[in-house]
Amino acid sequence: MAEKRSRTSRLAERARELAPVWTLLALIVFFGVYSESFFTLENFGNILNQVALLAIMGTGITFVLLTAQIDLSVSYMATLAGVVAAYATAGHLPQPWPIVVALLVASFLGWISGAATAYLGIPSFMSTLAMSLIASGLSLYLTRGRILFDLPPLSKTLGSGRIFGVKWLVIVAALTLLVGHLVLRYTRFGRYVYMTGANPKAAELAGVNTRRVVAWVMVIAAFTAGLAGVVGIGRLGSATPTAFDGMLIDAIGAVVLGGTSLFGGVGGIPQTVVGLLILGVLRNGLDQVSVNIYAKTLITGIILFAALVFNILFAGKKES
Amino acid sequence: MEPLLRLTQVKKRFGGIEALKGIDFEVFAGEVHALVGENGAGKSTMMKILAGVIPDYEGEMAYRGRPLRLKNPKEALDLGIAMIHQELSVMPELSVAENIFLGRQPTRGRVVDWRRMFAEARRILEALGYPHVEVERPLGDYPLGVHQLAEIARAVTSGAELIIMDEPTSALSPMETERLLELVRRLASQGKAIVYISHFLEEVTAVADRITVLRDGRKVATLRAGETDKSELVRLMLGKEARFFERAELVARAREGRPVLELSALTRPRAFEGIDLALYPGEIVGLYGLIGSGHFELAETVFGLARPAAGQIRVAGKPLRGGPRQAIREGIAYVPPSRRTGLFLEKPVYQNVSLPWLDRLFGPARELAAAREVTQEVGLRPPDPARNVGAFSGGNQQKVAIARWLIEPPKVFLASEPTRGMDVGAKDEVLSILRRMADAGTAVLLVSSEPETILAAADRILVMAKGRIVAEYTSGEVTKEMLVHAAAGELRKSA
Repeated sequence: MAEKRSRTSRLAERARELAPVWTLLALIVFFGVYSESFFTLENFGNILNQVALLAIMGTGITFVLLTAQIDLSVSYMATLAGVVAAYATAGHLPQPWPIVVALLVASFLGWISGAATAYLGIPSFMSTLAMSLIASGLSLYLTRGRILFDLPPLSKTLGSGRIFGVKWLVIVAALTLLVGHLVLRYTRFGRYVYMTGANPKAAELAGVNTRRVVAWVMVIAAFTAGLAGVVGIGRLGSATPTAFDGMLIDAIGAVVLGGTSLFGGVGGIPQTVVGLLILGVLRNGLDQVSVNIYAKTLITGIILFAALVFNILFAGKKES
Repeated sequence: MEPLLRLTQVKKRFGGIEALKGIDFEVFAGEVHALVGENGAGKSTMMKILAGVIPDYEGEMAYRGRPLRLKNPKEALDLGIAMIHQELSVMPELSVAENIFLGRQPTRGRVVDWRRMFAEARRILEALGYPHVEVERPLGDYPLGVHQLAEIARAVTSGAELIIMDEPTSALSPMETERLLELVRRLASQGKAIVYISHFLEEVTAVADRITVLRDGRKVATLRAGETDKSELVRLMLGKEARFFERAELVARAREGRPVLELSALTRPRAFEGIDLALYPGEIVGLYGLIGSGHFELAETVFGLARPAAGQIRVAGKPLRGGPRQAIREGIAYVPPSRRTGLFLEKPVYQNVSLPWLDRLFGPARELAAAREVTQEVGLRPPDPARNVGAFSGGNQQKVAIARWLIEPPKVFLASEPTRGMDVGAKDEVLSILRRMADAGTAVLLVSSEPETILAAADRILVMAKGRIVAEYTSGEVTKEMLVHAAAGELRKSA
């Protein structure tokens, strides 16, 4: 009897876990039926291209959410990294140093907000919110509001080049996700990330340095955000002081849509991939079926909100 | 001289359990006869037979030399046998005098004769040594000691010759206790016979003329109070156990070596102060205290979860200053008092077990194998290390919390409330795991607020109260009551 109950509850849990996958399939079928141009290889390439930057950023966010923290500074960190890379290039810093410096700056700022959260106890939403202002301010300060067109050649290649017909951007995104997945799944650090998120107190009791884990995931999030920025300017063809500011909600939203718990400990890169695809298909599909362009954001918002409700209900179920 | 009351070979069984296995007992007029024994020794069954609460038993009872079979408490009362229960049957709203004469108020015609009642009550209380109690005032105005007094006075005025008192001092302050003991002596000197039941052996040896010790439903001995002492009483109450002597020998040998954990003057404000403690390999030391006495905080601090304000922690001579990670590396293991804080309920058993050891044990296959081994050792049911911890019963969750530390046997095992909320069988299993660890050389600090747990497993017992160690006992010379008394006594004194 008890055995049976636990099996049905396991099935129910499994169904809940797979809900994002069903959502994705439903969206694909829906748009496939209602749009002639949706089901083409070219369009799938478009979708991947559209979510590639989000994927790079989302990899780091996945780490952060798994420890039950949040990073609200990622989009501004991407902007800043892009600006720094362009600024250093304009200043004739030899390549590829502008990119290295850009990534280091982003990582360092991530470490600052991570340490503030881990060692001083400032809630991460607050420390990263403040950090987003710093990053955004630095971008403005460096550019004086102008648009920078001197980009590192590597950024241009990765942002808009192709190899064997595949966009470098998509390859970078796939590699970032892959590395993230390997770290989370097959390293001790990855396990510490999950356990810290699942129950920080218990992790501490088992000798896990949870503060260091939290500080490090914030560094990782800042690094992947910086990477998105460095590649992103190549795709845009320029670095502006507000280039990626709009990406914040999409990046966090994609991770949550995939089913990674906001309360930590549950989820991962496969979930994030599904979430990215849901967001990509949705955006792309809405264009294809020619909905009122002004309703697009509204519909995306409603779906994201529904995903949030689901995320919370899911977590609540498991508590009881 | 003939005893006022005599029991001969009294037996009583409840279903399959023999609560009394043939008790002989006598009490004389003018005597205080104390009855001691551990919980379940048969004290209350015997008492209930004396007071007529239990009418069906084997054996003989004789009162004033004549055989007697009580059918109910009322009959006992009519014959002059009164019982003062632990829960008093007084009415705090009524006056002291009314409580004394409850149901038997003196009357003039059909109305209560208040004047006479107050005068009588005053006279009785004076005779009992309490001339200052105002009998007109509501009983509720007075402390518990006076409530008890009223109940005793009621028994006396109703003509009781034999008064049975069940734990009369358990709720009294030390001062009230002293006055009550005086009262008991006074009643005896007035020719009453008193059967006095108490857990507090100091009181018993102070107030009684004779003491009868019960164990497992048998009378072990009846001793003159002046010719015995507390430790003999405890030994008689507990009996001897072979297991205890074996371990005692082992522990004695261990103590000749060096301590594995030493605390000196360890202090954490608002938790504990000036703790000195040495733990030797192979011994199980019980750290008992009421909740809030600082014993859980002490274990927590030794594990590095909080920093002491002063003092030192040494493991095998080496000072310990870091957090849990260093503590684990130095061979300290810790189980927190609450399962929720210590376990990942939504993660599989093997991940819970392997987490402290990932630097040498990583990869699902290896972790599963190691977890299977240690969970077998603790008897996890069902024995499935891939299942989420949250899917196990509470007792089995606790086993997971302990199993983690069997991967690499620790030098020191700090187990806070390891049997909390477990059924008897699971408790025994957990305690025998601790014993096996101790046999293998681990020094176990068993931290608990359950005296039964401590008594069942500890070789040596320390009692903490208000952040200090207030008493130390060797197992086998201490009862639950003494532990509770030591832990609470300190509170009383400082309150």
